[in-house]
Amino acid sequence: MSLTLNLLLNGVALGSLIFLIAVGLSLIFGLMGVLNFAHGAVFAWGAYVGLAVYNATGSFLLGILAGTVAGIVIGWIMERLFVRPFYGNHVAQILLTLGLMIILTEGIKMVWGPNLLGFDKPAALTGVVDILSDPFPIYRIFTIGIGLLVLIGVHLLLTRTRYGIIIRAGVQDPEMVQALGINVRRVFSLVFAFGAGLAAFGGVVAGPSFGSLNPDLGMANQLNAFIVIVIGGIGNFPGAALGSLLIGIVQTFMAYYLPDVAMAISVAMMAIVLIWKPEGILGVRR
Amino acid sequence: MRAKLFNNNLWLGFVLVALCLVPFVSSSKFLLTMLISVFLMAVYSMSYDLLLGYTGIVSFGHTIFFGLGAYSVGILLSKTKQPNLIWAAILIAVVGAAVIALIIGFLSLRVKDVYFSMITLAFAQLFFIISEKWSSFTGGGDGIAYVRVPTFFNDRVKFYFIALAFLAVMYLFLRRVVNSPFGRTLQAIRENEQRVESLGYNVLRYKLASLMISGCVAAMAGGLWTVLQKYVNTNVFAMDRTIDALLMTIVGGVGTLFGPIVGAGVITFAHEWLSSLSTQYPFLERWLLFFGILYIVIVMFFPKGILGTIRDKWRYKGGSRHAASDSKRRESVL
Repeated sequence: MSLTLNLLLNGVALGSLIFLIAVGLSLIFGLMGVLNFAHGAVFAWGAYVGLAVYNATGSFLLGILAGTVAGIVIGWIMERLFVRPFYGNHVAQILLTLGLMIILTEGIKMVWGPNLLGFDKPAALTGVVDILSDPFPIYRIFTIGIGLLVLIGVHLLLTRTRYGIIIRAGVQDPEMVQALGINVRRVFSLVFAFGAGLAAFGGVVAGPSFGSLNPDLGMANQLNAFIVIVIGGIGNFPGAALGSLLIGIVQTFMAYYLPDVAMAISVAMMAIVLIWKPEGILGVRR
Repeated sequence: MRAKLFNNNLWLGFVLVALCLVPFVSSSKFLLTMLISVFLMAVYSMSYDLLLGYTGIVSFGHTIFFGLGAYSVGILLSKTKQPNLIWAAILIAVVGAAVIALIIGFLSLRVKDVYFSMITLAFAQLFFIISEKWSSFTGGGDGIAYVRVPTFFNDRVKFYFIALAFLAVMYLFLRRVVNSPFGRTLQAIRENEQRVESLGYNVLRYKLASLMISGCVAAMAGGLWTVLQKYVNTNVFAMDRTIDALLMTIVGGVGTLFGPIVGAGVITFAHEWLSSLSTQYPFLERWLLFFGILYIVIVMFFPKGILGTIRDKWRYKGGSRHAASDSKRRESVL
């Protein structure tokens, strides 16, 4: 397997992980106009809870389940107590979600300590397989598969189910949805918890891929997700997918060839999109 | 009418005189150093208040400007070994801050306000990484140690008075700004952007100008910060520095200018106190957790912070209906 193909596959794997964070952020913003600055912290909590359960039970599957449930619970509490009372007041919402980010991150340091924690791959997903007679880690393939599954799952959810239709309608015009007799607030809560659950799920899946966890994990990944949704178009599901793929691949190539400027390239790409098409590559001008 | 109590010059003069007397009452070098850092952080937080409290935009990368000031003093003074270039360094920082503010503001403020929060955060991270990776210029992760500053600043009492004068001048300057027609327009943008736009104001230009002024003031505070610390490292670009400004402004009182000064004092001393206790009670090492909770409680229940809440209570006692309705209206800001 050539180096380019290897980097490309690694890029897709990274893109899958970013996508898991970005999709929730993007949907939540699109639907309720809230940019959740604590989203990355939920990702980190998912990873830590998942690791704890995985270490305790030895089952990675249980770890994924526990991490996801933790994310859903955190997201639900967050929406109910801190975001809901402030709909329509963006400044307070931004300030509050940042405060929650601080508390969640400090909470991780309190419970698990500020140092690195190792996160081993489950035995079944360790090792390599040969792709075009070159070895490639199984876990990366697993990550790509998970990303694809979530992509298809969320796509079907949004296009084929009643809730999906309500959510898409809500992104267009929440007041009209409310006027049609649908409890849009409940949809808000569900989407918030769902997005948080996806981020936490992403955290557990990402853990073994990073190899270790640190409390500031959330912030770094959240930044990538922000860049992704700016590039793809905020509140735009295909945009989040395309942006994640783009940033994942570009970052992987840069990390190999010019590691020092990888972040700068992402920011530069974001700046170019903002100048050229501020609503995002796939965004619609309103 | 507005803020008779706290913007009253007499009151201000009283506080200033009291602060001037401190070095004569106590010669504790520790206390003076603490107060100098309070003054510098106060200026930094006031500049943040111009954005958050008066223009109504939330920056999560305010430390970019603080860090620019800190690094340009650190780099210029240590590379040239000419301590007297300090004023040139601060001038460079101010110009640099204005340019960066223009670029960031132009990229993000044109779109949606929430983009501004995201993009300032991304740029802060970018500057953090630059300061870490470009080690031949910035000293990398170790930063620049032993910055030689003018001997003048080595005398704590003299530095104390310089910092106090800096705070006083910056307070008066920013008060002048927010009470000018320009500042009134900023507050109008905060209250109702569409209406200001439809009145024919170029909202983007006003926001950009506000960001530039705020950035320049923060850069000056950052420059003097390096003079105080005598070293500079990547911490000045860290998220925690932006959180400092947020905490101090929110705790003290958003949209009051004087509030961030109070907030800077409260947070700096509380932080010092909690750190000194943390040797006994290790859980206090997570002091940011307590500040985070305090911050959330204030945003949710006392959106005007310490100073704003006291001021409202005071006014309410006076029984002025106008004041009560005024405060109610302001409540909708945050």
